[in-house]
Amino acid sequence: MKYETQKIAYNYFVVATLLFGLQVIFGLITGAKYVWDHDPLINILPFNTSRAIHINLLVVWLLFGFMGGTYYLVPEESETEIWSPKLANIQLILFASVGVAAIAGYLFGWSWGMPFLEQPTILKVGIVVVALMFLFNILKTMMKTKRWTVIQGVLLGGLVMLAGMFIFGIFFVKNLTTQYYYWWWVIHLWVEGAWELVAGSIMAFILLKLTGVDREIVEKWLYVEVGLVLFTGIAGTGHHYYWIGTPYYWLWVGGIFSALEPVPILFMVIDTLRDVRERKVEIENRTALFWAVGCAVMHFFGAGVWGFAHTLPQINKWTHGTQITASHGHFAFFGAYAMLNLTLIYFAVPKLKGIKTLKSALSLSALRLMVFSMFLMVLALAVAGIVQVYLQRILGMDYLSTQGFMTLWYAVFWVCAWGFASGVVLYIIDFFSMGKTAKS
Amino acid sequence: MTVSNAKAIFIWGTVVSAVIFLALTYDFHRKVGMQTHEMKLDERVVAGKWVWQKYNCNDCHTILGIGGYYAPDVTKVMSYRDRDWMSRFIKDPPSVWPAERRMPNLHLTDQEISDVINFLTWVNGIDTNNWPPKPMALVASQALPKPGEAVFKAQGCSACHMLGGVGGTIGPDLTKVGSRRSKEWIEEQLKDPKAHNPNSIMPSYAKLSEKDREDLADYLSGLK
Repeated sequence: MKYETQKIAYNYFVVATLLFGLQVIFGLITGAKYVWDHDPLINILPFNTSRAIHINLLVVWLLFGFMGGTYYLVPEESETEIWSPKLANIQLILFASVGVAAIAGYLFGWSWGMPFLEQPTILKVGIVVVALMFLFNILKTMMKTKRWTVIQGVLLGGLVMLAGMFIFGIFFVKNLTTQYYYWWWVIHLWVEGAWELVAGSIMAFILLKLTGVDREIVEKWLYVEVGLVLFTGIAGTGHHYYWIGTPYYWLWVGGIFSALEPVPILFMVIDTLRDVRERKVEIENRTALFWAVGCAVMHFFGAGVWGFAHTLPQINKWTHGTQITASHGHFAFFGAYAMLNLTLIYFAVPKLKGIKTLKSALSLSALRLMVFSMFLMVLALAVAGIVQVYLQRILGMDYLSTQGFMTLWYAVFWVCAWGFASGVVLYIIDFFSMGKTAKS
Repeated sequence: MTVSNAKAIFIWGTVVSAVIFLALTYDFHRKVGMQTHEMKLDERVVAGKWVWQKYNCNDCHTILGIGGYYAPDVTKVMSYRDRDWMSRFIKDPPSVWPAERRMPNLHLTDQEISDVINFLTWVNGIDTNNWPPKPMALVASQALPKPGEAVFKAQGCSACHMLGGVGGTIGPDLTKVGSRRSKEWIEEQLKDPKAHNPNSIMPSYAKLSEKDREDLADYLSGLK
C-alpha cells in the first residue's frame, strides 16, 4: 500500500464479504423451496421475496467489491490520494442504508417488480445519488494528476457506463416488451459490458502488480479484450431479444454476435496464463495468484462455454425460461464476478494489512470447495434443465408435473450448495483473520 | 501489435457494434407497436402491468421467458385458461390448485384481479416469434387431442388427480376411471360433487358450459 486513502477500500470489502455470506444464506433458503414443495415460510418469506433478496445481495456485494477495488486502484494509478475520503465513507454508509432499506422493504412486500430491479423508485434515486458521489470522487481524484493510464481509462469508462445504463431501469414503461427491451440495457449491458470493463481493468491491474510484466503488454491486451467484449456484447444483447416481441432479425444479430462472446474471454485466460508464465518478479502473494487463475478459467467456462451452449436461437428456443438459464446464471456470476472480487480482496487486503507474503491454506480450501461445489451445482441445475426441456417443451407435460421429475436434481443442487456455503464460511473466517493470525 | 493498434480495435469494435445496436433499436421502436398490438394496450392493461409488478409476480413466474423459474411461464397463459378460472385461482390459489407447491394468496382486490388478467390477455397477443415452441412430441404424433382433454388441462384437473402417472394425489387416480364410472356419473360428479359423497372436497364444476362438461365426461369415461 502506497497511499493512505487506499485504506478506504477495506470497509467496502468488509461489507461485500458480509453481504456475500448473507446472499448465500438466502440462496439456501430459496433453493430449499425447490426441494420441498411444502413451504412453511410461504406467508413470511415466499419464493419471490427470497429470490429478490438473493439476487439483489449478489449485485450489491459485487458493486461494493468493485467500488472498494476502485478506491484501492485509483490512487496507485493516479499516484495521488483519493480526493475526498470523507465522501467515500459517506457513500459507503448511504449505499449500505439503501441496501438495507430495499431488503427490509421486500420483506414487507414493497417492490417495483422487475427482476434484479425490484428496488422501489425512491431507493433507485438513492442508488443514483450514491453512483454520482462515487463517480465524482473518482473523477476528481483522477483529475488531480491526469495520469490517463489505459487501466484507469477503462475502469472509468466501465463505471460511467455502469451508472449510465442504470437509468434505463428506472422508468415504468406501459408496454412490457419495451420495458424488457430496456431492462436488458441494464442487466445485459452491465454484465457483458460495463462490469467486464471494470473487472477487466481490475484484473489487468492485479496481474501487472502481481507478475511485474510490462505495463505496455498488459494494457495492449486490455484494449483488445474489452474492445472485443464490447464488439460482441453490445449487439450480442440481441440474444435476449429473440422471444420478447421484437423483430425476427434479432435471431440473426443476437445469434451471430453472442456466439462470438466467448472469444474475448478465451483471450483473457491466455493472457492471464502468459502473464504468470512470463512474470518478471517472484510472486509473493500466491493466494491471489491462485484466485486470479481460477477466476480466468471459471469465467471462461461459466460465462463463455455455459453461455454459448444455449445462446443460438435454435437451442435457446427450447431452453429459454428453464433451469438451464439458472445454471448459466450461477456459473457465470460466480466465475466472472464473484471470483474476480475475491481475487481482488486477496490481492488488496494483505497489502492494506501490511502482510508481505500470503499463502493461506484456509483460502485455498475455500477456493477449492467453492469451485468444486459450484461446478456440481451448475451441473445439477443443467440436468434439471434438460429434464425440464425434454418433458415440458418436447413432450408437452405440464409445468408442475415436470417439476416433480426434477426434484432429485434440485436436491443434488441444494446439497452441493451447502458445500459451497462451507467454502464461503472458510473464506469469511480467513478474511477476518487476515492481518491477525495469517501474518507471515 | 502496437498499443495504438489495440486501441483502434477497442474503438472500432465498440463503435461498430454500438451503431448496429442503436440502428436496430430505432427500427424496434418503429415496429414494436405492431408486433405487440399496442392499440389494445388500454389503461386497464397498464393498471394490470402495475399489479403484476407491485406483487412481484415476476420473481416466481417467468413472463416472455424472463424471471423466476419457480412457477409456470405466463406469456401464453390466456391461451389455455379462461378469465373465470384465472380470477378464481388468483382469488384463492390453493382452493383451485391444491398442489403442495402453491401460490400464496396475495389478497388482490377484484379490480386488481381483473386488471392483471387484462394485462395477461394483452401479453398473450404479443408476437413472440413463435415462442414457446409447440411440444415436438405432440406435433410429431399428429394426434388430435379429444376436446375433453383440453378441458381437463384448462381446468387444471391434474392438480388433484393422477392420470397415467402424472398429477396430484388429493383426488382419486383417473387413469382408468372409465372402467369404474359411467359418463352420466362423471357429469353428475362435475356438476355437484357432494351428490355422490357429502364429504367430497372437490369444487363444483357446474359453471362449465354444457358442452365442456359433456366433452370432459366423454373423455374421462373413455379412459379404461
